[in-house]
Amino acid sequence: MSTKIQRLAEIDRVIHEPGRLMIVALLAAVKEADFQYLRQTTGLTQGNLSAHLSKLQEAGYVAIEKTFRGKYPLTICRLTERGREVLDNYRKVIKGAL
Amino acid sequence: MNDPSSRLLEESPDAIASRLIQKAHNRDGLPEIAIGLCFLTVAATMWMQVVFHPGSAGYTAGFWSSALLVPAMILGSQWAIKKVRRHFLIEKEGYVEFKPVNRKQSAIVAGIALVIAVLAAIAGYKGAFPPSGWILAGTGIGGGVLAALSGRLPRYVVGGVVMALTGILVAFSRVSLTVGFTILYGFMGLLSLLSGCVVFLLFMRQPAQARE
Repeated sequence: MSTKIQRLAEIDRVIHEPGRLMIVALLAAVKEADFQYLRQTTGLTQGNLSAHLSKLQEAGYVAIEKTFRGKYPLTICRLTERGREVLDNYRKVIKGAL
Repeated sequence: MNDPSSRLLEESPDAIASRLIQKAHNRDGLPEIAIGLCFLTVAATMWMQVVFHPGSAGYTAGFWSSALLVPAMILGSQWAIKKVRRHFLIEKEGYVEFKPVNRKQSAIVAGIALVIAVLAAIAGYKGAFPPSGWILAGTGIGGGVLAALSGRLPRYVVGGVVMALTGILVAFSRVSLTVGFTILYGFMGLLSLLSGCVVFLLFMRQPAQARE
């Protein structure tokens, strides 16, 4: 048991922050989503969401692509393979510890 | 504002994601409008089978509409909602592409639906159906529970309770099965359509947030 609890120390701190975990969990459930959808769905402010996405992009967990659909600019976000692996590992560690 | 991230310690990330996606799916009222139209079509086809004599053109049209048009509407409604959102509401709702439907899961659901349909047909052929009151009450309660569980929003829970109560009331009114279904689906269709239109109008009145 103590080993499982000790594994909590291995938790990735980038993904452990509630706002970022919510974004990663949402992106894991869909193929891709844009900034507007993420903001509407998570309820985060524009600044918070933007900051969280930047951190996730820096860590290589989220890929961001700026594009257009008609005249509307879209900031499309996708979870990378690395992001998916980190989320899977996070689930396992948390599940094992609780 | 109720910050969804505060619940991450109580629920798994997957459960949170599923709940948020479901809430987002229902926030513009379009799914309720689609459900309302489907229910009203079911009620209309049932009504045609009540007022027209078997063998007449009206009865045949009602029968084939319930067999072909209603399933097509149910299957096509998600596609239509996606198209409307992509073409007219992308600025307000944002863009999302869901993962392709899991074919194995779809096959299992289709298989279960087929087995239920075959069992119902056999029961109908052998005259082994339970009394119509039980079927009406069961449909109302079952539909109500499904609406309350799947909608994830208070108005869906209210709609579910109303559907269950309507089913029970219609069951007690001792009308025939077809008339009972016409009343149940007609009333729920109108209610769902009205609720969906109100939610849609309120959603459209919200100012679009500035994009990043």
